[in-house]
Amino acid sequence: MTENTRAASPSKASAAKFGGRGLNVAIAVAAAVTVAGIALWGMQLAGGMMQTGMRNLDSWGLYITSFMFFVGLSAGGLIISSVPKAFGMKGFGGISKVAVWTSICCTVLAIGFVVVDLGQPVRLWELFAYSNLSSPLMWDIIVLSTYLILSIVYLWATLRAEAGKVSATALRVISVIALVCAVLVHSVTAWIFGLQQSHEFWHTALLAPWFVSSALVCGVALVLVVVIALRRAGYMQLDQENVVKMAKMLGAFVCIDLYFFGCDLLTSAFPGGEGAEVAAMLVTGPLAPFFWTEVVGCALAAVVCFTPRLRTSGFIVAASLLAIAGIFCKRVQLLVGGFQLPNLDYAGALTQHAVTDASGTLANAYQGMVYWPTALEFGVALGIVGLGALLLCLGFKYLPLKPVEGSR
Amino acid sequence: MRYGMVIDLKKCMGCQTCSTACKLANNLPAGIWWNRVLTVGGEQVDTARGSYPNAELSHLPVACQHCENPACVKACPVGATYKDADTGIVRQDYDKCIGCRMCMSACPYNGVRSFNWEEPKYAVDFSVGEVESPAHQKHVVEKCTLCVGRVAKGQKPKCVEACAGRARYFGDFDDPDSEVSQLVRAREHMRILPEMGTDPSVYYLV
Repeated sequence: MTENTRAASPSKASAAKFGGRGLNVAIAVAAAVTVAGIALWGMQLAGGMMQTGMRNLDSWGLYITSFMFFVGLSAGGLIISSVPKAFGMKGFGGISKVAVWTSICCTVLAIGFVVVDLGQPVRLWELFAYSNLSSPLMWDIIVLSTYLILSIVYLWATLRAEAGKVSATALRVISVIALVCAVLVHSVTAWIFGLQQSHEFWHTALLAPWFVSSALVCGVALVLVVVIALRRAGYMQLDQENVVKMAKMLGAFVCIDLYFFGCDLLTSAFPGGEGAEVAAMLVTGPLAPFFWTEVVGCALAAVVCFTPRLRTSGFIVAASLLAIAGIFCKRVQLLVGGFQLPNLDYAGALTQHAVTDASGTLANAYQGMVYWPTALEFGVALGIVGLGALLLCLGFKYLPLKPVEGSR
Repeated sequence: MRYGMVIDLKKCMGCQTCSTACKLANNLPAGIWWNRVLTVGGEQVDTARGSYPNAELSHLPVACQHCENPACVKACPVGATYKDADTGIVRQDYDKCIGCRMCMSACPYNGVRSFNWEEPKYAVDFSVGEVESPAHQKHVVEKCTLCVGRVAKGQKPKCVEACAGRARYFGDFDDPDSEVSQLVRAREHMRILPEMGTDPSVYYLV
């Protein structure tokens, strides 16, 4: 069997070069994109959210889609680095700190997406003053802040442990807590949607475990892309053996995620009725492009991950990107699909506030996708992604994230 | 107390007087309707579904259902939407609302909650309607208040008072002798989406 364990051998020479001009340019570009995003957000607040594609009948959009997506993306890093420590297994060759740093950046991004979605961001403090503990959104805010703080503590503890200032036992305890918190964060994010009886597509007990599996897929995929890129750039050395190990994990997670999707579709569609409408909407309806991109993309990713001959760096990166794109498509299906099937679809006063496309009848508005973002929303979203990229690059430049000898 | 409404669908003719009266009484901005008379029929308002002699057309006035088990109240992270213990009316505190729209997606009755997607605009440059109705704000969620100000003064909600067909009744469902309780006892009735478990306080006579 031709395992590609020696596909890429990083050269010592390029390691010295990392962090030079390229990184500075990246930081500058990311900062510019962030500033532009903030300016667009200012425009959205000043001119009103009428400038977005969101309306009363499709009251969430690209921002909440991205929120779901980045919460998921943040999982992989923390889980990949904490599982080996928590269970005392052999790790993935010193990628722990880089992985956790990607987690932290993604969590910040997720929080950013919730903030830009708010109509009254200056009232954010009320979340802490008037917390309504029966709201799944409140649970998520609590768990997400805990998760962010914990990820930072975990990174700090890892650094201190390497310096011999924190005992291995203490680090192990922290990694167990971080792991539990990571699973919780995805479950609670799923419950924001899954506990609502008013949306046929969302109201399923499977949603929480499904969010965990999707998070594992795109999270591991992101770590793979980042570490392969960093190895290529000479930032760190990493045996191909570790990359292959992670790729196999990615393949397994992709299969679990697709399996959950299959279970959910069958359970919805089999009895007929409203559930069958959900399945039809996904498979042949307005959301079909996103459905098939996800299914085909994830299946291809699994094929790459399970075929030894295909496990080269290039193919693994391509598979990871396919998996990430697939999970993003899944988030789109979930969000738009929730609004695509209204409970009351009777004709009534149709104003600009009612639905994204209010030019025809209500039935017209549901012909294609009921929601599509405007240029402003894409701009603000890009700005937030820029902020994430900025944080990521600043971390590589200023934080001691490189693997040290003997680290797991 | 459990204030609520009974709407006689046999009397409703879809004239939209209740929607307009509501809009005036609450000084609703352009494009905002707290109370809508929906057409159960064709794709267009006031058109029938099917063809003669089997055409079908009826109307369904829909506003906040002031549920006993409101999905919105549980979902709001800051308690800006709440159930008033004294009257059973589901209220919305504009000053507290952070504009996250969690309540809008939690509510099964699509469209009864509306978000002010822009700075409120009005047809005239003075405010109309009840003096006690609070000023509308940009980027917050609002909805039917069951005319809480009028009710406090012992009056009926504006839509009930204005209904040309006298199809709307207002009262306390906790009082077995109230007009609404008697109507629900005497007549065949339904509620919208009862399977959602929200226990709405608006009954429709059919």
